[in-house]
Amino acid sequence: MSEANGHAANDKIRVDVRDLNFYYGNTKALKSISLPLYDRKVTAFIGPSGCGKSTLLRVLNRMYSLYPGQRAEGEVLLDGENVLDPRLDLNLLRSRIGMVFQKPTPFPMSIYDNVAFGIKLYERISKADMDDRVRHALERAALWGEVKDKLNASGLSLSGGQQQRLCIARTVAIKPEVILLDEPCSALDPISTAKIEELISELSEDYTIIIVTHNMQQASRASDYTAFMYLGELVEYGETEKMFTTPENKRTEDYITGRFG
Amino acid sequence: MNSVLYARRGLTDRVFYVLSVGAAGFGLLWLGLILFTLVTEGFGGLSLKVFTENTPPPGSDGGLLNAIAGSLMMSFLAVIVGTPIGILAGTYLAEYGRHTRLAGAIRFFNDILLSAPSIVIGLFIYEIFVINMGHFSAIAGAASLAVIVIPVVVRTTENMLLLVPSALREAATSLGAPMSFVIRSVTWRAARAGILTGALLAIARISGETAPLLFTALNNQFWSSNINAPMASLPAVIFQFAMSPYEDWHRLAWAGALLITFAVLALSIAARLLESKRN
Amino acid sequence: MAGIALENYGTYDRAKTVRGFGRGDTRFRLLTLSAALLVVLIFLGVLAALIEGAWPAIKAFGLPFLWTEKWNPVTEKFGALAPIYGTLVTSVLAMLIAVPVGIGIAIFLTEICPGALKRPIAIAIELLAGIPSIIYGIWGLFVLAPFLQSTIQPWLIDAFANVPVLSTLFEGPPYGIGVFTASLILSIMVLPFISAVTRDVFETVPPMLKEAAYGLGCTRWEVMWRVVLPYSRAGVVGGTMLALGRALGETMAITFVIGNAHRVSASLFAPGTTISAAIANEFTEALGDLYVPSLIELGLILFFITFLVLAFAQLMLRRLEASGGKR
Repeated sequence: MSEANGHAANDKIRVDVRDLNFYYGNTKALKSISLPLYDRKVTAFIGPSGCGKSTLLRVLNRMYSLYPGQRAEGEVLLDGENVLDPRLDLNLLRSRIGMVFQKPTPFPMSIYDNVAFGIKLYERISKADMDDRVRHALERAALWGEVKDKLNASGLSLSGGQQQRLCIARTVAIKPEVILLDEPCSALDPISTAKIEELISELSEDYTIIIVTHNMQQASRASDYTAFMYLGELVEYGETEKMFTTPENKRTEDYITGRFG
Repeated sequence: MNSVLYARRGLTDRVFYVLSVGAAGFGLLWLGLILFTLVTEGFGGLSLKVFTENTPPPGSDGGLLNAIAGSLMMSFLAVIVGTPIGILAGTYLAEYGRHTRLAGAIRFFNDILLSAPSIVIGLFIYEIFVINMGHFSAIAGAASLAVIVIPVVVRTTENMLLLVPSALREAATSLGAPMSFVIRSVTWRAARAGILTGALLAIARISGETAPLLFTALNNQFWSSNINAPMASLPAVIFQFAMSPYEDWHRLAWAGALLITFAVLALSIAARLLESKRN
Repeated sequence: MAGIALENYGTYDRAKTVRGFGRGDTRFRLLTLSAALLVVLIFLGVLAALIEGAWPAIKAFGLPFLWTEKWNPVTEKFGALAPIYGTLVTSVLAMLIAVPVGIGIAIFLTEICPGALKRPIAIAIELLAGIPSIIYGIWGLFVLAPFLQSTIQPWLIDAFANVPVLSTLFEGPPYGIGVFTASLILSIMVLPFISAVTRDVFETVPPMLKEAAYGLGCTRWEVMWRVVLPYSRAGVVGGTMLALGRALGETMAITFVIGNAHRVSASLFAPGTTISAAIANEFTEALGDLYVPSLIELGLILFFITFLVLAFAQLMLRRLEASGGKR
């Protein structure tokens, strides 16, 4: 499908996935996936374990390129450029598409240095400017108030939920266009989870957000569009509200109502 | 149930229980004997002079100053040359070459060098340095120690880097950092303590090495800080003094032995503490 | 929410910075690769240097060098038989003692030792491994040798005086130093290593396997002998081979107490020599065109022997790793 069911007509496409096939060695993990991801909306990938949702997410920023034996075929267009093109500069791509992982991964350095890490990669700015950027990033991640007095403390000294927000701050600091979230709340308690979901909806005002989640309630709460995947195929894709109330595909309905998964 | 068989099984079990405990006792016995002699004889020969005077000719009093200084100097050189090479090589094996056949081959040769007889390493350095330079030198001695340091550091660095979770590397990569930057700023940092432990273990290992120094740095009964000339070292001096018939030389040999053992134990404890802090 | 507005941030500037990444990245990779290749280069260098240094002797004596006992610096006639014999005998004897004791200690530490004592005893055994070999050497010379000379050796000589084979093994004046003493010291040096490797290997045995055996009513010994040891066979053999490799190359512990006689004797109490002891004792005073090359040729032979043993050990240990500890 090249358009979501019932998407608002003026939603712009940010990332366009066209006929994507993905292989782990000889095993085909994604089968002819086509879906448009809309600009500054939150899109959720849901599906049972092993359906390929994380695999699909990791294609978008070419994370699989780190590992020999994994390859993708097809097109993933970001503003017209095919992300899968081997000539594409991966570092540049990743500066435009950021990623937050399932388990919070603060770097073994201070909170300040964590956030400044990405900025320092690309820019030479004064200390005052850097301080500003770090502060803005932490504010954006709703973490500033809690860490402003201990910016030099190790990133590892924060709680799980705070660490995850630190990772979000780190990603936001380099001002990407798209943010990928791979089950960001699965290692967190309900209160941290709620905070992050709130954060996600704020961030979607400026960034295109793609979130993989195995928690359907989270998908229905936090996303504008949902893609349901099963065994490497895209089964259904549409506006979240519509998918959760009147899904078109029987399997989607079965999964959403908990008959399997 | 066959009661004869059962009784025999019980007896066998008890016999081996006793043998195992005996084995442990055997090991501990020797440890105790060696340490006991080391401490009693070593402290007997220890005095302030050991640290302030150079090695004496037979029959007179003296110390081990030049030997201690020589050992420190050559170990220092060996470590600052060998450790960076070892860390870089270990980084290649863990980060760039993982699962490749080339890395497998390199690891194979590295592990052979790790356990190779150190006297053979000494011969190697003799052929390369001493023959070509025309004389023995501390440089050659340090080189032979460096060749012993490198495989140890390669091994520990690779193992420590493999323990760093891949999510950490991916997180840095996802920000757009190139691989070398990821390794230097994140992966090395995360494995910092382990790599340092490896360096400490390497230093402990070379502290007691004698054979490779015998025909590279040779020995020097006087004070020397010239790295282009033969240099004294604790192990070489102990070798010379212990094999001699002179009583006061024997005393100094024991004192030197105590010093070396002390240094090795201190380094091992430091490495162990670092290890537990990491966990 | 206040914050920096999202401009389409100068992707163009970034493109330039990012292009610069490539060169530095490749350079770093090459640097690590060179360091790794240096390791291989060192190995090959050792081989080449030994062959080069030994060449005059190889040319002069050829293959018979390996089985000639005569070692005469004056007439410049050298033969490696005594050192090779000594190296092999001391190592084998040392392993005969160290392997059962080392495995016994490993069994003790994993199965028998009460929890509180485990760590101190394990650390104590590791201390034994950390003591440098020269310490073993002088201890052997000043403490063990005199002790053996005055007590154990005379007793053994008398005890086996009339027993057929053993009387030749334990014959001769009790020097104190000699093959027997050297082997004993070597065994004490090697056993903490065997104990440590065996312990590590035992830890890879899944507890479920042991529990199943205990559940069937096996005694501790039976679990060890019938389940744990067979399961960890490859690892134990590999570790033993590794220890043998080290024993073969051991120098300082042996040099002090071996007696330095280029003689092959039947008696364990006779003085002898090993390759490493011969090199250590004679190298710095060796004069003449063939003396040094002969010593280096000894080194080459030792390198070759240890290479074979260590390569075999690697093979065994890799198999253990590859199968994830399964048989």
